[in-house]
This record gives sequence, structure tokens and C-alpha cells, in this order.
Amino acid sequence: METLFGITGKDFVITAYDSKAVASITLMKIGENKSRELNPHTLMLFSGEPGDGVHFSEYIERNIKLYGIRNGIELSPRAVASFARRELADSLRSRKPYSVNLLIAGFDVKTNKPSLYWLDHLASLADVPFAAHGYGAYYCLSLLDRYHREDITEEEGIKLLQKCVGELRTRMILNMPDFVAKIVNKDGIRLVQL
Amino acid sequence: MDTLVSKYANSASSASFDDADNLGQNMAGWDAASQFALPAFDIPMVANPVDFLRAHTDASAENRIRIQHGTTTLAFKFQGGIIVAVDSRASGGSYIGTVSLSISFTTSQTVKKVIEINPYLLGTMAGGAADCQYWERELGRRCRLYELRNKERISVAAASKILSNMVYDYKGMGLSMGTMITGWDKSGPQLFYVDSDGTRMRGERFSVGSGSTFAYGVLDTGYDFNLSIPDALELGRRAIYHATHRDAYSGGSVNVFHVKETGWVFHGNFDVNDLHWEYQAQPKGPIV
Amino acid sequence: MSIMEYNGGAVVAMVGKNCVAIACDKRLGVQAMTISTEFPKTFQATPKTYIGLPGLATDVQTLSEKFRFKVNMYKLKEEREIEPRTLAHLVSSTLYERRFGPWFVEPVIAGLDKENRPFICSTDLIGCINFAKDFVVSGTTSNQLYGMCESLWEPDLEPEDLFETISQSLMNAVDRDCLSGWGAQVTVITPDQVITRTLKSRQD
Repeated sequence: METLFGITGKDFVITAYDSKAVASITLMKIGENKSRELNPHTLMLFSGEPGDGVHFSEYIERNIKLYGIRNGIELSPRAVASFARRELADSLRSRKPYSVNLLIAGFDVKTNKPSLYWLDHLASLADVPFAAHGYGAYYCLSLLDRYHREDITEEEGIKLLQKCVGELRTRMILNMPDFVAKIVNKDGIRLVQL
Repeated sequence: MDTLVSKYANSASSASFDDADNLGQNMAGWDAASQFALPAFDIPMVANPVDFLRAHTDASAENRIRIQHGTTTLAFKFQGGIIVAVDSRASGGSYIGTVSLSISFTTSQTVKKVIEINPYLLGTMAGGAADCQYWERELGRRCRLYELRNKERISVAAASKILSNMVYDYKGMGLSMGTMITGWDKSGPQLFYVDSDGTRMRGERFSVGSGSTFAYGVLDTGYDFNLSIPDALELGRRAIYHATHRDAYSGGSVNVFHVKETGWVFHGNFDVNDLHWEYQAQPKGPIV
Repeated sequence: MSIMEYNGGAVVAMVGKNCVAIACDKRLGVQAMTISTEFPKTFQATPKTYIGLPGLATDVQTLSEKFRFKVNMYKLKEEREIEPRTLAHLVSSTLYERRFGPWFVEPVIAGLDKENRPFICSTDLIGCINFAKDFVVSGTTSNQLYGMCESLWEPDLEPEDLFETISQSLMNAVDRDCLSGWGAQVTVITPDQVITRTLKSRQD
């Protein structure tokens, strides 16, 4: 019942993941990091098969970092998403595919625009204004359709995210109180309190 | 059933209405047990009727019964009574069992998913369209009989219990319905959820169907018991619209009803396509 | 649930008088849930040839990249644009390469050849080509599209009439399909220009 959220605004993307690590019926840990910083302006959130998320995102992270070191210039969020998609798509038809759902949130410093990419475990990539993975999507996509605007501010973004989390608390069978939110903007990636 | 048929057959051919004895006999012959007995259905003479039915509900079956699949319906109580709102799409195709074939076409965009049981009672429809229509009509008949015998209207609690009891008798035989029974009785506005599993519960706010989660998202965040009547109608309408946008198996138009002390009032049919472009054009308002 | 219907989508192509048209819907779904309404499924291969790829979204994207690569390589080697008929065979052999683990797409190709003669075709997911002189359909809406095209299409339509015919066929077909729609994109290819229009359609 993992849930990921991503919402773009005027000049930022706000993301959130539930920080629970679950093994079958046992809650192993609260406060698990389900995100990786791919480069200073791109953040990847993951959910899905335990283990796959960390391994895949770190594999992507290292390659994106390597690109930055080798070329002295960072890949744009669009390029990062495209690379991650292709890696996942190739793995899909391998002997042991990664089973992982991803959100890639980035801020393109060249165009000064935020962007959010939705990528599922089959490696279908979509460029979206807001997105969710997991059962939470069934409750919150309509809510985001209702309230989201392209030009929301960071404060409004946080409020909107709180609305989503609030909805999950009222409707989901397993309530998930522990969400970790991160904002990506021109200054980089930072943690925010929900 | 046969006795009923023969009774009417007689009165049409030979019996005359001025024959007092005959009339008296008919009155005396009124059999409460038969009137309140469950309707009789022919059950296939097989070990497991459910497996037999499955052969006709599979997508690959030659003479297939199309079980209506997708729907979004909702109802909620508020200060001014109850709002009931539903979509109007009927989609063909189903996925039952292990056959990996499915068809997902829109059969109709103009289905009535609110069943007007009587001027004071409404039932919504999700799941099997035929099941809902048949059993809610049967419920209507029983509510009318109750009214005639007791000289007062049936309570919503009792009506929903009748429905629940009736469908519970067929549990495990493939009935599929998720319905909300609403109305206004002596104790005020009433809302019940009844389904074919036998669940029956009183509540403040329900949404049923494949698009229900999407409707809940909008409904929960916009809900307030003290909503004005126009605002409540708008909330119901909007929640259904958002569900039709995200859920492939919901769509068509929204039908909105308001249940009040004097009975239910129909508040219009709105094509969700018109609603979409209307909502797109207007500002979305603050995020509170 | 067939894998071909997991994401939904529809593509149709039609022949007109010295012109062709190709159109697609814009939905990306995960079964019943709509994820995006900005997911067109037709891609430009050459200035006068388009390829439509309805099917599993991941393969739509992978193959659109693969074909772009192959078409570019062809152009570099041959120093000319690939002909639509040649492209059809390239698509066919690319798909048959995966005969025992197919790409889950059923492509449609539409274009004008070097003499500006219209060409359309479709293939199944392992590359069996279907050459047609009138129209081809593909995707979850194919049944409905056949019905619409059979009744609306006529020979020798001028570009504007062809646009109207293909648009009406697609829009009315997807309105009867739960898994496709949410906007459409139509491209009309004539000897001297290519016009792409986005259609406003039902959003349910």
C-alpha cells in the first residue's frame, strides 16, 4: 500500500512518499528513505518490489552522477527521465526485470521550468502536472484534478499535499501517517514539513 | 405463480364482478404468505449454479449475459436533507474467471441509475443493472403493500432491511448489486448502503462503483454538513464529474436528486462533456 | 485483461485524393484509471510519412524511439528518405524479430510515396502487413472504428473532407470505447503540406 505523490507548481515540484518499510504483514521501519537525488535538481521517488526500488534508483543515480562528472554539465530532468525509462524498459524484457514504480521530479535550470514524470513498472513514461502511484492514486487524482492549478505557490502545494494525505487518512484501510515531503526548485532539493 | 395466473385467467373469462360470492372468495383467498414469499426463479439443475452462470458471463461465452460493470454513484446527508448523484454510462464487457479476453465498450451513455422506488424513496444502482432494477422494483411493490396495510409509509430502515433480506437469500448465487437506499421518514432523512453480500449499514456519506474512490476524493474534501442546498447539489455533481474523468468505466451524464421532507426532487441531467469545459473555463478557487 | 488493452488507445488512417490522413486518441491509462490525456500515438517518420503505434504504452515509446533511430540510419546510409512501403517492411521485420516475445503494438503507417501516391497499411503485433486501399484501424477501438469507417469513408476525398471524415470516425468510435479518447490528434498529409490538428473531444 505504498503511495507516492508529485505536484508541480509555478516554479517548483513538491513530492511525498510514505516512509513505511513493510515486509509481508510486518512493519519493519518508519522513516525509510524512498527517494534518491539523481543530480542537484532531479529527485527520484520509488515504490514497488522491496529491494528493486533502491537498487534501480541507485543504479540510475550513479549513472546520472557519472554523466555530470564526465561532461561537466548535468542532464536535464527530461533527459534523466528518458534514460531511466529506457533502462527500465530494457530490464522489463530481461530475465529478471525490476518491478518498480517511479516519479521523477526535476527543475530544469536552463528553461527555468519544473517538470514531473510518471513512470510505471512497465516503463511507460508520462509528463504530467501531478501524479500518484499506489492505491492513493485512486483517491487523490480526482482531488488533484479538482484543486490543482499550474501556478500554485509552494505554500499552496504543501496545503494540497496535506489535503491528499488527509484524504488517505479518512479512506484508506491502512492509514499512513508518516509522509516525507521534498521540494525541488531552482535552489535544489530540500525537505519540508507536512 | 401458476395460482396467480389461473386466478386472473378466470376473472377475465367467466367470473363476473357483480357476483358477490366470487368477490368474497377472492378476498378470503388473499394469501399473505404468497404475497410476501420471495419470487420463484428457476434454478439450473446442476451441482453448482454459480459455475453454470459463469459460463454465460465470461467474455468468451457465446450467449453472454453482460453484467454492467462500471459506475459511479454517491449519496450524502447534509443540513438540507440528502443529495444523490450518479453517472449514466453502461459498459459492456467483463472480466470474470480466468479468461484473458475482455471487451470494454460503452453500451449506453443514458442509463438511469437512480431508481425511483416511490415519491419518498430512492435507490441507486451499481453492479448488475438487471439485479438492481428487478429487486428495487420488487422492493417498491412491497413498500406499497406495507403502506396499504398499515395506513402509513414504511420507514427507510425497514425498506432497506426488506431489500437486504431478499438479496441475502440469494447469497452466493451470483447476484451483484451495491445500492444506496435513501428517503425521508418520521425520523428524518435516512441513508442506507445495501449490497448483495448482505451488508446493510446506515451512514452519512457513501459512494459506490468503480469510480467511487475518485468521487470520494472530491466529496470528502468538499463536504460540510452545513452546506447550502445549491452548494450540496454542486458538490454531488462535481464529485461525479471528476470520477467520470478519471474512471474509464464511468461517464455520460450526471443525474442529481435532492431528498427532502416532502419527497425527492430531480435536479437535472448534466452531460459531463459540457461540465468539463465549463469547469475548465472557470477558476478553481483557493486550496483551503 | 489482455495486455493489448492495458493502456488503451486507438489509431486510424485513411486514403484520400492525393492525400492521406492518420489520427489517434490521446489517453494513457492503467486499466480503468486515466493517467494522462497528453499521450499521442502517431509519430512523424519522414516529412511525408507517419507511423501510428497503439498498444502497450511502454512498447509504443520504445518502438517510436527504435523506428526514429532506424529511419535516421536509413537516411544517412541511403541519402534519401525512406519510402512508406519500405518503412512498412522495416516495421514488419522489426516486429517479427521478436516473434517469440513480441512488442505489444499493432502499428499503422500512412504516407505519400515519392510520386505522391497515397500509401497506408497496418500490421499485427508480429509483423503481418495488411495493405489497404481505403482505411486501416488499430487499437482497443478497432471494432468501433471499422463500423464508423465503413459508413463514412468514400473514395477520392479532398484533404479537408478527409480531415472531417477521419475526425468524425475517430471521435464517434472512441466515444463507444471506455479505454480510448480524452482528446485526439489528426494529421493530414498532402503533397505540399502536412497539417496536424488537435481535436477537442469528450473527457469521460
